[in-house]
Amino acid sequence: MATTTAAIAITSADLLTDALSLSATKTLHKAGSTVGLDQTTGMTKAYLTATTRVDIFPQLIEGSIAFAGTSSWVYICNESEDETEYVVVKIAGNIIGKLYAGDYLWMPWSQREDGHGDNHHGDITIAPSVDTGMWFSWCCVNEGTEYPTENLATA
Amino acid sequence: MATITAQLTVSSDISSYGGPSISKTMTMTKAGTGNGLERTSGIQRKYLTDKKHVDLIQGAAGVVADMTVSATSSSAKIYIKYLEADTSKYVTIGFGDAKNNVDLAATANNSNDASFFELGRLYGDDWMIIPWDGTSATGDITVHPSSATTAAPAIIEYIVFFD
Repeated sequence: MATTTAAIAITSADLLTDALSLSATKTLHKAGSTVGLDQTTGMTKAYLTATTRVDIFPQLIEGSIAFAGTSSWVYICNESEDETEYVVVKIAGNIIGKLYAGDYLWMPWSQREDGHGDNHHGDITIAPSVDTGMWFSWCCVNEGTEYPTENLATA
Repeated sequence: MATITAQLTVSSDISSYGGPSISKTMTMTKAGTGNGLERTSGIQRKYLTDKKHVDLIQGAAGVVADMTVSATSSSAKIYIKYLEADTSKYVTIGFGDAKNNVDLAATANNSNDASFFELGRLYGDDWMIIPWDGTSATGDITVHPSSATTAAPAIIEYIVFFD
């Protein structure tokens, strides 16, 4: 059984009168169990040169039988070093928030079925703020993967 | 100007070549600048005593009276943790309209034309950290526990950092 552990430490010495120190650690389990997650997309490193919105996990088919009620965790990082550059992260076509340079997110993902059949409204998408090139990293750790079937159609 | 850092560490042996592994420190800054965020809700705890779908954090002034977020320049961050030893229990985190406390199953599926979308589930002791655009039409963060009673409430801890 694989073991994946996620830990966070949020600290600030000068935000409040007293120091802020908050930490948490959790081993990632399959839904409702104590069995470790054992699948991953692997870490992607991507350089995006357009502001076009893209689906960052096209190989994962949200709302499928394989994913129903399963557990998935997503990491996305804006690796830009220009503080004015950001990326807008959406799910289901709605905004979660913006990641500015150096920002990341770590969140669960239900991949819930969309309301329009197969319109992929459980997708996680990102759109860079500039088309001059921005680096990103992303990864999904999950317990179920259903790959798109082969499609050889030419037209 | 305050300095707030969030250090994420993920270690895994899923892959035979190691990983995925993550070690990343984020310094929370105001939108488009190198200036640190300097406002916070403080650490909050919410006790849910029934299985209703409710707002955990409301957009705009729902966090604190002087909170302002902007659809064009928001840089808010939210940390949420489900305090529960039983890993079979979970809370569903969503965005948008909590549907007046009705059961989550009765709400619409994910859609860009709906007033609610489901993000994911936090099982016992799971936590998450995300950016937040609290002014969009679906800006409220909602929560729906799988199990919650007066005797055994679902306890959720969260903190918001904002511009």
